[in-house]
Amino acid sequence: MSELSLFLGCVAPNRYPGIEAATKKVFSKLGIGLVDLEGASCCPAPGVFKSFDKLTWLTLASRNITLSESKKDDILTVCNGCFSTLKDVNDILKEDVNLKKDVNLKLAEVGREFKGTQDVRHVIEYLYQDVGTDKIRDAITKPLNLKVAVHYGCHLIQPLKESHVEIAENPTFFDELVEATGATSVDYEDKISCCGAGGGARTAILDSTLKMAEKKLQHMTEAGADCVVNACPFCHLQFDAGQAEINQKFGKNYHLPALHYMQLLGLAMGFSPEELGISLNAMDTTKFIEKVKMDTLKSKICITAN
Amino acid sequence: MAEQEQAYKIRRFLQLEKIGQNSEGQMNIPFIFYCTTCYKCQDNCPQGVKIVDAVLAIREAAVHHGTMLPSHKKVAQMLIASGHAVPVNEEAKKRRLQLGLSELPPTVASSKDQLAEVKLLVHLSGFDKLVAEKNEYNLPMVKSTAFKTCDQVLAEGKA
Repeated sequence: MSELSLFLGCVAPNRYPGIEAATKKVFSKLGIGLVDLEGASCCPAPGVFKSFDKLTWLTLASRNITLSESKKDDILTVCNGCFSTLKDVNDILKEDVNLKKDVNLKLAEVGREFKGTQDVRHVIEYLYQDVGTDKIRDAITKPLNLKVAVHYGCHLIQPLKESHVEIAENPTFFDELVEATGATSVDYEDKISCCGAGGGARTAILDSTLKMAEKKLQHMTEAGADCVVNACPFCHLQFDAGQAEINQKFGKNYHLPALHYMQLLGLAMGFSPEELGISLNAMDTTKFIEKVKMDTLKSKICITAN
Repeated sequence: MAEQEQAYKIRRFLQLEKIGQNSEGQMNIPFIFYCTTCYKCQDNCPQGVKIVDAVLAIREAAVHHGTMLPSHKKVAQMLIASGHAVPVNEEAKKRRLQLGLSELPPTVASSKDQLAEVKLLVHLSGFDKLVAEKNEYNLPMVKSTAFKTCDQVLAEGKA
């Protein structure tokens, strides 16, 4: 049986633990072994730390990778930013012998060594490529009657551009995974564009990044979406906490619940919105939860009637 | 970002660098820190210029010369103190317990030894001095790890 190491990052465990809980439940239901990568730190975030000091970025990221090198299987991340950092660093150090030496000199001080034996996987591309939409569909007990606005996020696609051109070019893999839950992925304007949060921009210039997020929320709402589904806790934060900020700062009234794909899949596998942490969003999700519960009830009645 | 911020002109940073002026000069701070690294400009560049890589190089040079946004400095100090750029807080602890998770995440947050490792590595690379509150410290660029300069990036794009 496979046993992946779950790399949590910062925002999922420390702001949206529902994403962590959902991931563990979903993998247990799929029968795929997933263990915590104990002692991991911030990846560190690609937009900020990589551009502050690249050697620090490489060193801390490689330490996180070494934590998994005693394990049988690869690292799994549920965050685009962590994916970008860990995959890039892993690929760079596997190729560049001199850089690997530099980094290992530092790691030796804490008794570690980067070997380059593992791969770094993002949960979305892992589920698509290694598990497959058929197996996902088989694991679903409560097909969802939802219109979903899929948000890929820049750092899900970017790291795949060299190694997985076939799925990164005109991507549909995330939409296919969403539709495997029974939901419909709706098309909307500027679908591939950025949520605005990355690169340290949210920290540097909040209002401008909120305007970027607002544009996306507007297009998603116009497309009739019931929720926005993301693959990254930081995009998730921008669409949830950021949405509350947009409403308050700009006098708007957006009400589009944000779900990480792990939470959407969890719903379709029969877990309750409460145990997946959907009710813990900054935005009120009561109406959305009522709709999901009502749909489940309706389908039960249909099954009984038939 | 260019749609939101008139002063954010990513090509101008590259042009300044190319004519030998420091694009991390006072005029362009804080704008060089506004890039979300979405790669849209790089993906659409007809010349294949690695624009985002160049912006990251400009940023790193600025930071190494002691110029950072205060808000970014705070995030960096958070990483040094806790091992997380976004550390756990009381609200998150409560929610974790409510969801049946451990109160503290099974990360550096749960292990003093592991956090000590992170702190030592940060110290060895000089990062703690680089992002210290009163920074009089200019961290030299390490050749083997430095991002390509804009000239190199531009030359590669044209090749």
